[in-house]
Amino acid sequence: MKFLIIEDEQELREIIANYLNEDGNICECCDSLRSAIDKLSIYEYDCILLDIGLPDGDGFTVLEYLRVNKRTEAVLIISARNSLDDKLKGLNIGADDYLTKPFHLAELKARVVAIYRRKVFNSNSTLIFNEIVINLPGRSVEVNHKPIILTRKEYDMLLYFIANKGKVIAKNAIAVHLWGDEIDMHDNFDFIYTHIKNLRKKLLEVTTNDYLKSIYGIGYKFSA
Amino acid sequence: MKLSAHYNKASIIISIIVLIAGGVVYFFAINHISRMQLDRDLTEELEEVVDYVNVNNKLPKQVEFDEDQTVFTKTNETSLPARFFDTVYTDNKEKKNEPGRAVEGLVALNGQHYRVIITESRESTEYLLQVITLITLALMVGLLLILFITNRYILNGLWRPFYGTLNALKAFNVSDSQNLHLKQSNIDEFGDLNNAVQTMAARVKHDYEHLKHFTENASHEMLTPLAVITAKLDALIQDEALKPEQFDQIKDIYTASGKLAKLNQTLLLLVKIENNLIDDAELLHMDELMYQKLRQFQELIQAKGLQVTEILGTKNISVSKYLIDILLNNLLSNAIRHNTDGGKLLITLTDAELIFQNTGDAKPLNSETLFERFQKGKKSEGTGLGLAIVKNICSLYHWEIGYRHDGLLHTFYIRF
Repeated sequence: MKFLIIEDEQELREIIANYLNEDGNICECCDSLRSAIDKLSIYEYDCILLDIGLPDGDGFTVLEYLRVNKRTEAVLIISARNSLDDKLKGLNIGADDYLTKPFHLAELKARVVAIYRRKVFNSNSTLIFNEIVINLPGRSVEVNHKPIILTRKEYDMLLYFIANKGKVIAKNAIAVHLWGDEIDMHDNFDFIYTHIKNLRKKLLEVTTNDYLKSIYGIGYKFSA
Repeated sequence: MKLSAHYNKASIIISIIVLIAGGVVYFFAINHISRMQLDRDLTEELEEVVDYVNVNNKLPKQVEFDEDQTVFTKTNETSLPARFFDTVYTDNKEKKNEPGRAVEGLVALNGQHYRVIITESRESTEYLLQVITLITLALMVGLLLILFITNRYILNGLWRPFYGTLNALKAFNVSDSQNLHLKQSNIDEFGDLNNAVQTMAARVKHDYEHLKHFTENASHEMLTPLAVITAKLDALIQDEALKPEQFDQIKDIYTASGKLAKLNQTLLLLVKIENNLIDDAELLHMDELMYQKLRQFQELIQAKGLQVTEILGTKNISVSKYLIDILLNNLLSNAIRHNTDGGKLLITLTDAELIFQNTGDAKPLNSETLFERFQKGKKSEGTGLGLAIVKNICSLYHWEIGYRHDGLLHTFYIRF
């Protein structure tokens, strides 16, 4: 996948690029509205990460540019403005999703993967990870051609892990993904463990591969 | 007591005192004047009698001195100073006694001295006095009445701009978007007052807006560094060469930055509620929202082994889904967080009330500071803004929120 990261905070830009720069992904970065439009006028991308507050203007201009030029890039807005109006405005003029700062990289990746998948496969797709086959519209999972029944949270978690495969995901990130950041977790993530344990058990019933690993109490890693 | 009532009281008491004193003086003055008049008449009469006697050398007959009664008695006294006195006047025609005034004098006829007593009826002067007194009294009562009415209505009318200003000030809310509007008064003092109040209100509002903008900007500015911290931590934990102790420290940083992010979002939300920026009200089924919320929190409830009893009647309400979600989140997570392990949680929803009751600390919370910002229990891990948000949402929708503790259960209630 080819990404364009439009973000004026250099640290953030680099770290996002680093995180996404795997599996043959290519990340390009720019720090202003002008350079973003310049790049967009020359190259095509699969996905654009767009910060709304740019030093030389409003990120919405990029969305306008894409719309006017009938471009097909998937756009994820990253904004410090957690305002409902901005969110609606962004989504209305062509953004595919909206993420509020601060966010976890795992969340960003999962969202990017999801909107890209939606855009490219029009959501009529199956997601295949080794022997795990996920029918996305039906929300059903088969492993080695045997269906397994997952709860909603387990299913969401599995998708989240696959999107971030090979990465250590902090418990905080998982909690925010599954329960939203409105719910106050009181930093008590014990119940995440219950869900992970169940998911792992269900997978291990149909496959010998133990994908889920706990990392020093800080989080989990899903890797082949 | 109102200023006009104070003024009324003082002015009426003073008026009554002055009028009574004036009336008494007036009464005595008129009485005195009329008596002097009578005495002068009597003196003239006496002189006439003396002249008559000197001219005619005989005592006059009664009829010759119209209404007056003249009595002559022989006396041996040779000198008698004229003396005036009150007496009884007997009206022969009407056969009745009237108050009278008499003069006593001496007249000499053929070497014989006579004591002359001329009595005149005082009735007409008495009558005059009575009429004057009555008119005076009527005037006094009329004056007092007019004074009272004037004070009451005209003064109240005069003070109306003041009460207008006062009411506007009472209704003044610094966080309101509307400016303070005062009616112009053509009374200089009230005009000055209104100008001063308006200037002050504008300044307060400006300062408040300034502060709010500051909070908003500061919170916004903090979000990007926070995003950097979170992203860096996410990247840092990818390094599996880290030692477990280092992971422990990273975990603490995660917790702290998470809390900071939460704090920021909550502050921004508070500003938004106060600025009335969230106006996406829609008709929602409160009971359904509550069931959803309980499902969302079920892991937390199970983790604490809480026994939940919900009695939810149907309640439809027109509110912002976003805000009601936050309200229920905060109340429910508080009821869970501050509960004892294996404790009880009661949620009651009726058409008029929503009640959260939970077991917990035996000591009641301080209901006065409970809803203020950054007021939190010693053991609380929260931001200290949860209940402040709840209170703001309630006041946005004009609901009443309260807390009570009945020895066992902590109760939070919202009256719609």
